[in-house]
Amino acid sequence: MSAALSGCGPVSNALVNNGAFQKLLTAAEPLNHALIGTRGLAREYRDGDVDRTFRVNGFSTPSNSRYQTLAASGFAGYRLLVDGAVERRGAFDLHALYAMPQQTQITRHDCVEGWSAIGKWSGVRLADVLDAVMPRGDARYAVFHCMDDDGQGHAYYESLDLHQARHPQALLALRLNDAPLDPDHGAPVRLRVPTQLGYKSAKWIARVELVGSFANIAAGQGGYWEDQGYEWYAGI
Amino acid sequence: MSAPPKTFLYRYSWLTRASHWLWVLAFAVLVSSGLQIFNASPNLDASDKSDPARRVLAIGSPADGIGTTTVFGRTFTTTGLLGWTDDGMGDRGAHAFPAWLTIPGFQDLSGGRRWHFFFAWIAAFCWLAWIVSTARRGTLRQMILLPSDLPKLWPMQAYYFKLRKEPPPHGLYNPLQKAAYTTIGFIVAPLVVLTGLALSPGIDAIAQPLTAVLGGRQFARLWHFTGMLLLLGFFAIHVFQVATQNVVNQMRSMITGWYQTNET
Repeated sequence: MSAALSGCGPVSNALVNNGAFQKLLTAAEPLNHALIGTRGLAREYRDGDVDRTFRVNGFSTPSNSRYQTLAASGFAGYRLLVDGAVERRGAFDLHALYAMPQQTQITRHDCVEGWSAIGKWSGVRLADVLDAVMPRGDARYAVFHCMDDDGQGHAYYESLDLHQARHPQALLALRLNDAPLDPDHGAPVRLRVPTQLGYKSAKWIARVELVGSFANIAAGQGGYWEDQGYEWYAGI
Repeated sequence: MSAPPKTFLYRYSWLTRASHWLWVLAFAVLVSSGLQIFNASPNLDASDKSDPARRVLAIGSPADGIGTTTVFGRTFTTTGLLGWTDDGMGDRGAHAFPAWLTIPGFQDLSGGRRWHFFFAWIAAFCWLAWIVSTARRGTLRQMILLPSDLPKLWPMQAYYFKLRKEPPPHGLYNPLQKAAYTTIGFIVAPLVVLTGLALSPGIDAIAQPLTAVLGGRQFARLWHFTGMLLLLGFFAIHVFQVATQNVVNQMRSMITGWYQTNET
């Protein structure tokens, strides 16, 4: 078989820069989205299943001065801005977020790379935050703007459609394993979307922007990794 | 003194032939892009979440220039073949499977995923086309192993071992062929699809019992890989048999549809 397959790499490389072929390959994403979608509930685990040292996904603590200053103050100056296509803009400090009803979920984080880990997450349901700001009729997506960047001018961001954002397990997590989030794991607020791959669960969220389309944000694909070729629909 | 006229049977419909060859292409792409996806996390654990204590396979590079493969706790040095291999850009690096075996032919997880999902749909449609085309021609029923075939399995094997002069009476396909087609077409191939789906968080949310019965997400990844190896094994035997038994006639029939029935 290896003889039959040898050269798969070189042959496929000829097609890597073929725009039409690459566009053809993306035809699978809407099929996957239609087949799987956002249905059901991610499995919830028991305390004993939790990984006490939860593997850090993606980048580690942002090095920029804005984040470092906030972290040094214990995030006293932090405000989660929720704006865009909303009736009532919101700015939530940590006290306000902790004062809202808290959900705890012990769910598995499935990384696109193939590994997975189980964490105990507590925080505010994203749906509750959306209810507080009242999205307008033209709002279709929630875009999550984060406080980290890749050092090459690309800020991390992610997006969910409002159906995904209102999923009962979509969480703005404040705590991991019974302690406030530490900087590596996205302090002070990160997203948890256990029905999709880990890159959807953006860390260090500063702002949630409700939009009708994300075509004009960064490279227009709806997220940092999406702009680099990963699927926007990350349920598979 | 002329040879008796050749007689031909129209054995495979165009749909069977087209889906067969498209399936060959799709399978090659699925294996290669699957190895690309594997390379992003080159471990297989018999567990739900990642768990080094239940690691069945680990391909890695403990130091520059060294590749190792650990199977059930036994470590082998596999430099150049696995672990420390061709990176597809003129150098070697810490890649589990070498870049010449993966699609794309360099480290590219998102690219591998796009190829994999697209050709997974192609393969699924090929499977459906095969079911439809063979069912329509009535050959599907002749390919499925029935309880009445079970007592003929050993006599057929005995014939191949030259312990019997004649094969047991059978239809278009002999009992061993039926067993192979039934196992691969109706058990292994569907399981490979199901195990692939089961390791997706979106499917796990819809069908928790599916992922659970497989032992969890990482276990599903292990089953998916194992299923791939079984399909590769079938492929190897299948190609060997075609190559050693009337290869011209067999290839002609799968290309043109016509099979010579009185070949000497």
